Amino acid sequence: MNSLAVALDLLREARSRRWVLALALGTTGLLLLVAFGLELQVVDGALAASRFLGGRAFGDIRPADVALRPLFAGVAYAVFYGGVVVGVLVCADFAPAALAPGRIEQLLALPLRRAELLLGTYLGVLLLLGGGALYGGAGLTLIIFAKTGLFGWAPAGAALLAVAGFGAVYAVMLLSAVAVRSAALSGAAGGVAAVAFVVAGQRTELAPLFAAGWGRSLFLALSAPLPRLTGLADHAGRLAEGRPAELGLLGAQLGGAALFSAAVLALAVTLFDRKDF
Amino acid sequence: MERVLAIEAEGLEKRYPGRLGRPGPQALRGVDLRVPAGAAFGLIGPNGAGKTTFVKALLGVVHPSAGRIRLLGGDPLDPKVRARVGYLPERLELSRAWTPLEVLGSVARFKRLGLGRAQLLSRLEEVGVAGEATRAVGGFSKGMRQRVGLATALLGDPELLVLDEPTDGLDPLGRVEVRTLLQRALARGATLLLNSHLLAETERVCGRFGVLVAGRVVREGPLEALVTGGASWRVRFAPGAPAAALQAAGFTTGDGGALRLAGGLAALNAALDAARAAGALVSEVAAEGQDLEAVLAAAVEGQP
Repeated sequence: MNSLAVALDLLREARSRRWVLALALGTTGLLLLVAFGLELQVVDGALAASRFLGGRAFGDIRPADVALRPLFAGVAYAVFYGGVVVGVLVCADFAPAALAPGRIEQLLALPLRRAELLLGTYLGVLLLLGGGALYGGAGLTLIIFAKTGLFGWAPAGAALLAVAGFGAVYAVMLLSAVAVRSAALSGAAGGVAAVAFVVAGQRTELAPLFAAGWGRSLFLALSAPLPRLTGLADHAGRLAEGRPAELGLLGAQLGGAALFSAAVLALAVTLFDRKDF
Repeated sequence: MERVLAIEAEGLEKRYPGRLGRPGPQALRGVDLRVPAGAAFGLIGPNGAGKTTFVKALLGVVHPSAGRIRLLGGDPLDPKVRARVGYLPERLELSRAWTPLEVLGSVARFKRLGLGRAQLLSRLEEVGVAGEATRAVGGFSKGMRQRVGLATALLGDPELLVLDEPTDGLDPLGRVEVRTLLQRALARGATLLLNSHLLAETERVCGRFGVLVAGRVVREGPLEALVTGGASWRVRFAPGAPAAALQAAGFTTGDGGALRLAGGLAALNAALDAARAAGALVSEVAAEGQDLEAVLAAAVEGQP
């Protein structure tokens, strides 16, 4: 309950952050661009004509659901990776701000446990990013639905998968902020984590780049516990294109990301509990 | 009947960790302190004495290296205990975008006070910022922010108020208002722990004092008990007073042309009678060495 109160306080604070406002305005701008710039003419379920900002968009006459698959897939990837990148940029300052001298003393003197404060911050950031990604994803879904009559949850699904992926990235950022109170370092840690998680997603393909022996073994061992960010993104794209989801693999990747996040958060809580302010 | 203690510290030590695992500075060296419930206790000491570390240790913000703390009879790490405490940190940092109403609303939620807007506004009214209740605190002066911080500390009428430099940044009128608020809190039975560099302010509010020097409580008790050197007086006479008669009455040479007399009130009046009988006219009489400044100075110098 206290964690939820901390999360809601973080959302209140987010309203005034320039980065957050820029994100909201940027997303709204993109949605307006698509709403007013994309023309789609659907006749008997087929995409008869399409133009984006005056130029031809989706080629020959095809069934609308097939023709729009690349759009949905592109949007899914954009929402996924865009969500992670924007999340790193927008959310790097929240934990360091809460840990600022003069503020953290007041928070720690309130009737809440340190773990609740940290987990509330984590929850608040995920709610913020989830809200933003859902706004963009659901907005796009509704625009396309209004123009074509085709309804797909793909962008919204991609948004939720992006939140799951970013959850692991933000756990690392939070741990970094607890260790050293610095927004720049927290952002950098998030960037490095995101790249590492992308690499982990391609570890099988990248392993041959390392010479067989201890180097390759080390790479495989180090990347093994990391969340597979590209795997989650591919699932988002697959969902967007209407292809059947590999539920077993998706479950494993989501579970892996959740397990990694939980382990890093546990480490952050332990460190936070022992710290003096 | 056993006396109820609001604050109880036994053998409290704090050594901060240094670099590369080496031991850092030791801020507290075995602090023993007991503050009875309902008391107004002033914690004084020079810079670096460990006052803020002690206050932070009380609230679980800093982990003691050794010793024991009880707050309102419970563990300070227990949220239920902290719900009964109001705290104002030394360097208050409020979220710049929040309004005073939002700041108070957040604290009220964590303390589960269930206060509505009108009640929060009345709290802001008490500290004189109700007129700015919906303006972001980022644009506030230090004194205004301090008032908002004080309102959060007083929210829910806590049983224990721990205030670290509460009048920092306030103008003289603001200090008077804070004093009134604290006296009101004391009148309803709250306990006050006041840590302030403004000794005169502390003296006006608190009845008991602890002097912390180099991480140890070197003096503790009511002010009159802390003045252990005995009373002395600074007396000025109009020009032409007979020096020999004054000397015979017990006056000795003091600072800045004034004379000094050691002893209590009876000794003072007897000496003044003798001086007046010899034709001396008294122009000024002042008590010496009976304020907190003198107590602190004596404690720092290691005087008894």
